[in-house]
This record gives sequence, C-alpha cells and structure tokens, in this order.
Amino acid sequence: MIPPRAPVSHQPLRQLKNRIATSLITAGGIGVLLAILAIGVFLIWETLPLLSLDETFALTKLSPLAWGTLKAALAAMLFALPIALGAAMYSALFMSARLRSRIKPALEMMEAIPGVVIGFIAGLVLAPWVERNLASTLMVLVWLPLSAGLAGVLWHLLSSRLRQALPLSWAGLWLVPWIAGMLLLALWFAPLLETLLPGGDLRQLLEQRWGLDYATRNALIVGIAMGFAVIPSIYALAEDALADVPDTLMEGAHALGASRWQALWKVALPAAGPGIFSAVMIGAGRAVGETMIVLMASGNTALLSASPFEGMRSMAAAIAIELPEASPGGLTYRYLILAALVLFVFTFLVNTLAEMVRLRMRRRYQKAGRH
Amino acid sequence: MPRRLTAAPQRLLDRLWPWLCAASVALSLLMLTALLSLLLVRGLGHFWPATLEEVTLRSGEVVAGEAIRETPLPQQAGDERLYFTGNRDVAGASWRWVPVDDIAQRTTPEDLVRLTRTPWGDFIGRLVSVESDGERLEGQPAWDYLTAALALPANQRPAGALLLATADGQTLRQPLTNISGATAPNAMAWWQKTHTWGERVWQFLSQGPRAANTRGGVWPAIFGTVLMVILMSVIVTPFGVLAAIYLNEIAHQNRLTRLVRIGVRNLAGVPSIVYGVFGLGVFVYGIGGSLDSWFFSDTLPSPTFGTGGLLWASLTLALLTLPVVIVATEEGLARIPDAQREGAVALGATRLEMLVRIVLPMAVPAMLTGVILAVARAAGEVAPLMLVGVAKLAPQMPVDGEFPYLHLERKFMHLGYHLFDTAFHGEDVQAAMPLVYATALLLVLIVLMLNLTAIFLRHYFRRQRGNEC
Repeated sequence: MIPPRAPVSHQPLRQLKNRIATSLITAGGIGVLLAILAIGVFLIWETLPLLSLDETFALTKLSPLAWGTLKAALAAMLFALPIALGAAMYSALFMSARLRSRIKPALEMMEAIPGVVIGFIAGLVLAPWVERNLASTLMVLVWLPLSAGLAGVLWHLLSSRLRQALPLSWAGLWLVPWIAGMLLLALWFAPLLETLLPGGDLRQLLEQRWGLDYATRNALIVGIAMGFAVIPSIYALAEDALADVPDTLMEGAHALGASRWQALWKVALPAAGPGIFSAVMIGAGRAVGETMIVLMASGNTALLSASPFEGMRSMAAAIAIELPEASPGGLTYRYLILAALVLFVFTFLVNTLAEMVRLRMRRRYQKAGRH
Repeated sequence: MPRRLTAAPQRLLDRLWPWLCAASVALSLLMLTALLSLLLVRGLGHFWPATLEEVTLRSGEVVAGEAIRETPLPQQAGDERLYFTGNRDVAGASWRWVPVDDIAQRTTPEDLVRLTRTPWGDFIGRLVSVESDGERLEGQPAWDYLTAALALPANQRPAGALLLATADGQTLRQPLTNISGATAPNAMAWWQKTHTWGERVWQFLSQGPRAANTRGGVWPAIFGTVLMVILMSVIVTPFGVLAAIYLNEIAHQNRLTRLVRIGVRNLAGVPSIVYGVFGLGVFVYGIGGSLDSWFFSDTLPSPTFGTGGLLWASLTLALLTLPVVIVATEEGLARIPDAQREGAVALGATRLEMLVRIVLPMAVPAMLTGVILAVARAAGEVAPLMLVGVAKLAPQMPVDGEFPYLHLERKFMHLGYHLFDTAFHGEDVQAAMPLVYATALLLVLIVLMLNLTAIFLRHYFRRQRGNEC
C-alpha cells in the first residue's frame, strides 16, 4: 500500500523543523567539542604569565615533582609490564576460549576498582607489612617467577593422564593455588634466609652497607599498588592486539616448523607490536597521571633520590595537596597549573600516538584478514 | 656448531615461557581475589559482635577487651597482642598492647558487656546495677531493664543511671541518656549475633559519622555521592549524546572529524586531576567568582559560589566523563546499519524524523551503557573532587526543607574522600580502620555493580541486535 502523502501545507514546517534541529545539534556538538578544547586553552592561558617571570623558579619547583612522577611511573611499569604482557600472551595464544570469556571481564573489572581504595590498602596495609617484612617481600618478588618456571618443569614430569587433567589451556586458573602456596612458602622461608645475612637484618644491612634509608611509604609500594592499577589497561589492549593477529599467520609459522617460542617472537610479536606498543603507552599515561595512589602510598616527600626505598611526590599529588591552599593568580598557583599543563600535554600526546598506531595496525590486519 | 649450542636452551625456553605467562594470569587473579576478600572480611567482620576477653597478666593486672591483632616484638622476644579496651575516661587510652608471654590466664566471661556511649566512646566491663525512679536493680533484671530501655526511642527513655565496673575493679556511674547501645557478646548465640550484625550494618548505612568520623555511619557520604552523580548524569547525558550525534550523523566524515574523534577518545586518558584544576580555575574561581560579585555581593568576602560546591563538582565530573558517553554513544550509532537510515529517508522522512524515530531508539542501549560507565567512573573518582568542593564533614546536607531545597553551592561529603580523609587525616586511625574498610568495601561494591550492569547491558543488547540481523 502506498502511504498517503502528507498535506502540502505541512511540508515547509517539517523542513523548517529539520533545519532548526540540525543546526541546533551542530551548534551543540561543536559547543561541546569546544568546551573540551577549552581545557587546553585554559591551562596555557593561566601559565603564560610564568613566561615573563624568572623562568628558573618553575624549573626548580617542578624538577623534583617531575622526577617523582617518572620514578613512580617507572616503578609501576616495572611491576605491571611483565605481568600484563605475560597475561595477554597467555590469554591470546593458549587459554581455552571458555576460560577466556570469563577471565577477561574479571581482569577488566580490576580496572574499575577506585584508586582511592587501592591507595588505602597500599598505604595502610601493605606499606607497614612490607616495612616489617622487607626480606620476605623481596624474596617473593624473586621467587614467584622461578616458581612459575618450576611449575612448568614439574608439569612436564607428570604422567600423561595428570597432564590431561591439568591442561595448559586452563593453567591460568589452576595455577592460582600453586602460586598461593609458593607465596606462603616464600614467606615462611624468607626470615630463615634473612638470619643468614651478616647482621641478620636486611634493613640494617641496607642502611649500613649502601646507605639506603627506608621510608615506610616508598617507590616499591607505589610500584606494586599502581602496577596493580595499570595491569588491566595494558592487559586489555595488548590482548586485543595479539588476538587480532590473523590465525593464518601463526598456523603458517607452525606449519613451516617454527616452535611456539619462535612463532611468538618472529611472527606474533612483530605483527602485534604496534598494538602492544600502544597498550604500554596508554598504561604509562595512566601511571603518570594517577593521583590518589601516589598521594596515599608515596609519603609525598619531594626528594630527588633514585632509591626504591624512599618516597617521592608526583606532579598530580602535588596539585591535589597544594592547589586548594594556593591563592588564585599567585606564583604557586601558576606553577601548579604548569604542572597540570605538563600532565595534560604529555598524556594527550602519548594517547594520541598510541591511538594512531593502533588504528593503523587494525586497518592493516583488516586488509590482511580479507585476503 | 652454533645452531646445536643454542638448541637446548631454546627448547627449555620454548617449554617454560607459556608457564610464566600462565602464572601472570594466575597472579593477577590472586591479587584481585586477595584484595576483594580482604575488604570483604575486614569490612563486614567489623560489625560482628566480637568476643570479649578477660586477660589476667603475670603482674596480677586484669585487662578486658577485644583482641585485634598480634605482631612480633623485636629481638625474638615473642609476640605482642593489641587489645581494644575502651574505657577512655577511666584508663586514659582505649588501646593496650599486651606481650603474649605475660598473659597468665585468658577467659571469656559471659557477664562482660560492651556499651556504646556518646562521650568517651565504648565501655567494656561489667554492669553492676541500674538505678531508676528510686529503684535499684541488679544482675539479670538490670540487664533486661537496660535492653528494654535502649529499645525505646531516645526521647522516651527513662532517666536513670548505670553503675558500671571495669575489669580491674574501678566503678563509675553513667547516666542512661548517654548510652546508645549495649551488647553482651560472650553470652549471645550465633543467631543473636547475626541479628546484631544486621542491625549494625544498617546503622552504618543509615547514620551520620560520630566521634570525628571514627564511629557511626556514612549516610551523608552515600547521599552526597549519589546526589553528585545524579546531577552529573543529568548534565553529561544530553551533551554527550548531542556531540556523538553531531560527530556521527551530521558532520562530514573527513580527516578533521577523524582527528576530533581521536582527540575525544584520548581525553578519557587525561588524568582526572587535570580536570580538577580546570574546574577550580574556570568554574570555581572564574564563573563562581563572577556570580558572587554579581548576585551575592552582600555576603562577600565570604564566597557563596566562589568556593567548591556541589554544582562545580558535578560540572567538573560531567566534563571528565563526557568522552566516555560520547565514545559509547558513537559506537552504538556506528553499529546501526546505513540501510535503516537510507530506508527512512527513501520513505520521505526528513533527517530529524529519521534521527528521532529510527536511529536514536536503536542507539538507546549504547547511550545507557555510556552513562552507566560514566557514573561508575565518577563514583570512584576522588582527586578532582578534592579541588572543587568535597568536605570531610559537611554540617548541612545539600538537600533540606529550606527554599530552594537543593543547595547547589554547599559542600558535600563523598564516599571516596571520606575514606581518604579518615584513613590519612584522622586522629585515631587505629579506631577508624574498621570503618575505613567498610567504606572501601561499600565503594568497591557500588562501582563494581555499576560496571557489571554496563557490561551486562552491552552484552545483552549486542546479542539481541545479532539476532535481528
């Protein structure tokens, strides 16, 4: 049936409504985008007066903060990268599809845990514990990767029936009790090992022999806590990148006689490289800008020290602490806004770079997948 | 031959590295479960009526209290146990470290009671007698009278006094009006304990904080968080959707649009504190300052809108979550097949009619997902709020019976900031710890629930869409 034509008299009204609505949406959309742009404009505008001043002021104020930010981010990345990339490789290449559909959302849930909660646990639970059990902590950090390797060796020695019961594709799950057990073993063993050290106390030894002071809230704690916070973002993106590598590439490599290791290093990693790079960049961006965790777990001392056992103050934490008290328009106010500008520009550039690399790679594999 | 030499280590590597990778997954899961179970156990366990111990030391001193934890003493001198003993008015402190080796006897007598008082905090000891209307009750009748009186609303309670005795024999009188709760945990059966536990959880959720945030509940913080988040979604939804429609449906798809899209996406990665700085500089000092000088000049120099407040916090968080809503909505719009749009236009619809009747209804789930994700992000965000209007203790709620009912300029309490403040700036952190755990658990639960809802919605609608195609 042909629908009845609308009366001619309504047509101009409809067109007018359409025009008005379209221009309203356009105006609104552009307005929102401009509002977002205003962040950058505001930050630059407020820091301009600093240029006319003695420029060394901002430099001397900012350099310990910049150092603290980098130190915190570096510590976090050192902790997060091996775990996140390892987890991504495992779940993209080995994990059974059923387990993967469960584990991936669970790990992505980690990202939703608010920074203030992680910071609280790190600052008030982890930090005092580590201070009392420094040797155990260091022991755990060394022992856990070894115990994972040990699990592999033991698995190869198992009978084939047991091996079928505990397949590699489910290892992400059944290794949990193993890791927990190894953790307890390390905790039990570390104090015994510590008594063998000269003096029998690791912290005294550190202080006397290397002159390392130990602060309760330090880079080690920040690294673990913030590493925990950035693992999920790195994991999610790196896993996507690895899973996007067409199966045909890996199958081809295996067919040509490559071992799994060779297939990974020579085929999967180069192919997913840009995606993994962008994952790492985005993780670094998050680590640089994270405020609450550093605020609560770092002690907030603006020091220029490289020791992992001393605190630091990052730019984001300095802004959160000092800006509410700074008088608007004053010197402190301006240099804190400069810190915000540095954070903004840095994260924006890093993320843009990462996004462009990711998009380019995606386009390439969409093409490759079609052939 | 070099090839031969490398073959053995390479084979080992080939065997072992999958296990290292698998262990990373296991370790991540372990950390996640450890964190969540720590919060669950400590956060919920605090409300359970804990057993009270009476400890006789070798010196003959008697201490009564709740055992909290043990830590080793230096130089292998055994362990030391921390007791919460209450009675700050009698003993001067409510915590006591006791070396475990000094303990001669530990008992859990059933007549030990724990009273919640308004000044001085908890009392732990024995109830000797109750005096009321010239009557004097002792033993079980006294306890029955006390629980019956406490069950009444606060303004109907009889005037009277309790005679209390601490474990080491000191006595003190307490007016009945000072007491807000009484338990005898050692004499309770498990179902009575469960009942008390439920009551305490409810009190935690429904009452305001007491004793410098170390006791009481978090109701104002929950209320402030929810109100702020609602205001934020009211602001962010229309603007986010508008920008997404513009980007996806109206703007020409060229290089510039692509760049704008990447830019918007990346704003989600800009640190939240930067948004806080923007909010402080533009909303609070800029717009708020101007509003003050125009409309509230009579109260200057004390600022009305020129200081942090509910409105500015909501606006700042709206800006912060704008990219989330835009990206999610755009994703939904892009997934609608062009055939739908072309069909509508071919049947004579104008662009507006096509958008309103065909495209937007199909994109509603995506918008909803975006808004929920935005709410989840905003609920957990603390750093920007510290700059634009959160308070450790807000004297007035932002909503009350006074015109105009919703006070946008007032400061408000927020769960995340409450957690930060009690944990790091409180006077007695040790006493506040259980409440901090409970607050953290509540915050994590809220954020996780919101995220799960978003994931579920997305999954559900994606599958539904899949069936249609």
